[in-house]
Amino acid sequence: MNTWSDMAMTQPLVSKMLTNSISKDRVSHAYLFHGSKGTGKLAIALLLAKSIFCKNKELGEPCNKCKDCQRIETGNHPDVHKIIPDGKSIKKDQILHLQKEFTYTGLESNQKVYIIVDADKMTNNASNRLLKFLEEPSKMATAMLLTENSQSILQTIRSRCQIMSLQPFNPSLVQEKLQEKGLSGANAKLMAALTNNIYAAMKLSEDEWFANARKLVVQLVEVLQAKPEESMLFIHNHWMPHFKERDQLHQGLDLLILWFKDMIYKHIENEDAIIYVNHMDKLEQFSMHWSRQHAIGHLYKIMEAKRKIDQNVHPALVMEQLTLQIQR
Amino acid sequence: MKFIIQRDQLMDSVQDVMKAISSRTTIPILTGIKLEAHADGVKLTGSDSDISIESFIPKEEEGIVYIEQIEPGSIVIQAKYFPDIVRKLPQNTVEIEADEHLKVTIRSGNSEFHLNGQDADEYPQLPKLHTEDSFELPTDLLKNLIKQTVFAVSTVETRPILTGVNMKVANKELDFVATDSHRLASRKIPLTEETENIAFSSVVIPGKSLIELNKILEDTQENVEISVTENQILFRTKNLYFLSRLLDGNYPETSRLIPDQSKTIVYGNTKELLQSIDRASLLAKENRNNVVRFQTKTDNQLEISSNSPEVGNVVEEVTAKSIDGEELKISFSAKYMMDALKAIESDQVKIEFTGAMRPFIIRPIDNDQVLQLILPVRTY
Repeated sequence: MNTWSDMAMTQPLVSKMLTNSISKDRVSHAYLFHGSKGTGKLAIALLLAKSIFCKNKELGEPCNKCKDCQRIETGNHPDVHKIIPDGKSIKKDQILHLQKEFTYTGLESNQKVYIIVDADKMTNNASNRLLKFLEEPSKMATAMLLTENSQSILQTIRSRCQIMSLQPFNPSLVQEKLQEKGLSGANAKLMAALTNNIYAAMKLSEDEWFANARKLVVQLVEVLQAKPEESMLFIHNHWMPHFKERDQLHQGLDLLILWFKDMIYKHIENEDAIIYVNHMDKLEQFSMHWSRQHAIGHLYKIMEAKRKIDQNVHPALVMEQLTLQIQR
Repeated sequence: MKFIIQRDQLMDSVQDVMKAISSRTTIPILTGIKLEAHADGVKLTGSDSDISIESFIPKEEEGIVYIEQIEPGSIVIQAKYFPDIVRKLPQNTVEIEADEHLKVTIRSGNSEFHLNGQDADEYPQLPKLHTEDSFELPTDLLKNLIKQTVFAVSTVETRPILTGVNMKVANKELDFVATDSHRLASRKIPLTEETENIAFSSVVIPGKSLIELNKILEDTQENVEISVTENQILFRTKNLYFLSRLLDGNYPETSRLIPDQSKTIVYGNTKELLQSIDRASLLAKENRNNVVRFQTKTDNQLEISSNSPEVGNVVEEVTAKSIDGEELKISFSAKYMMDALKAIESDQVKIEFTGAMRPFIIRPIDNDQVLQLILPVRTY
């Protein structure tokens, strides 16, 4: 995805808007790219940075060969500043560093670009600092904020950026591409439901941990349905040791969400949309046990559990509560 | 790229450029030293993006050959390991070779190191500076200019432009000004004929860069060539290039701050004043602003006192050479006063006051080139 014409295949609207503003020399001082995981936020930001710096661009397309383009690609361009969260959030110091950078003249040219990855992870302090120079933009600076959740960005920041919404890919398109790469139909369907990023999906499908995670999710549902009294034991003996990290637990819950979604599809007889196609028999059996209302209720509960994990509630407690709620 | 070089020369250059390299940089390539081999010598570059230092080792100098068998080329080597390797090599000559796969081989005697290099194209391109926009100053004078002004730059980032020293050219004079809005230090030097047509009029150089430059320059009579471009300034000695980025923005107009008339003028001995203020500040330190009181008495006597109720107080009388004008009681920060007196570099000083609530200026008795201005502290 190194040219705007490539980008136009996946993000036609945003590419068109950006290429127009480049060719008319009306690049805005701040952009907010938001779109779900794998929609190519960073790729668009880097492409735009190249278009700003590249000296031999043709019709707005960067050449990808000159020193400027190559160094943006490798992250070595001295006037492109990329900020990624330091741990769980973007700290005040990181924005301070950026602020200092902006009081200096550029190293090679006076044009500067800063890219803030996961901008929703800025702490309050950091957001307010950033606001300071979004409000008084210097002529030659372009800000690019990337986020998966534009709503959790400070309203005052959002209002100062040109908002670019990246469209999620069509899951069936992703599924097709994955199948071309050699994944089985069932696998490709699951991966397409989890991520939009082909590369990430391929990696995930080869991951042994993930394969086990899938097994565990199905087992959990079985335990919940057949022997609810053993579910606590299952959580402690099997689930928690496998899903140790916060991210892993999120992934596990995502898989659980897909399962209950499937159950709803079963109830409304939309069988094409079902993702766990290998477990049709179980779905059939469980849909007798859990009504549609139940399944919807469980989905809410799982979402709630995900939120709690983000709020630093102890993971074991979250899972215990969730299983108790689903049993009933 | 390939060359064989004298280890001592290489070590000196490496140490010079290492001063610019910071381990905490956001741009990965800047953790390296760039080596460039040309037909006439080898150039080393280090940078933390704020300042960049280039050191040039000529092929030969005064008949002594430093470098042999040069094959032109360039490479970036990890700065974390390279200096230690060079320092500990067994013999006095070092052979450095880089192949097209960015592998660097360092040989000396029987030892041989293989390092992974990085592509020199990835390294920031430092601006080519034109010599026609430049002027020259003797090194020791430049060092003096820096010493007499840079201490007054602001250390807080609330007004970033004040963290730099303003260098401007006006009325055939070169003027260095620094202020943190509580005090101001300025030093002017007359320019010679040939430097009249300098292209820039005012730039702001970061205080940190100047402190670093002051450390690197040696106290000699040799000239430093100074050139300014749109976004960088270059200080160039024979084999060392020091580049710094500039601060962006307009420096506040400072000439209006300096009062042109005065009500009380005190002439005194710099050293005596400095020492007595230093003594008075011993008790003032507990206080928030490090404030000392300064009072004129009859018979050319000055009283310098400080009082912190929980510690005690100190009173000292100093004899001034002469006191003209109105009586005066004023309080000011001892630290600022001491900094200013140290920067005067003259035996006798003239202090001009315009009332207890107005800024006062300190100058050497014999010239107008150095000027220090301090704002008093309001006490009740």
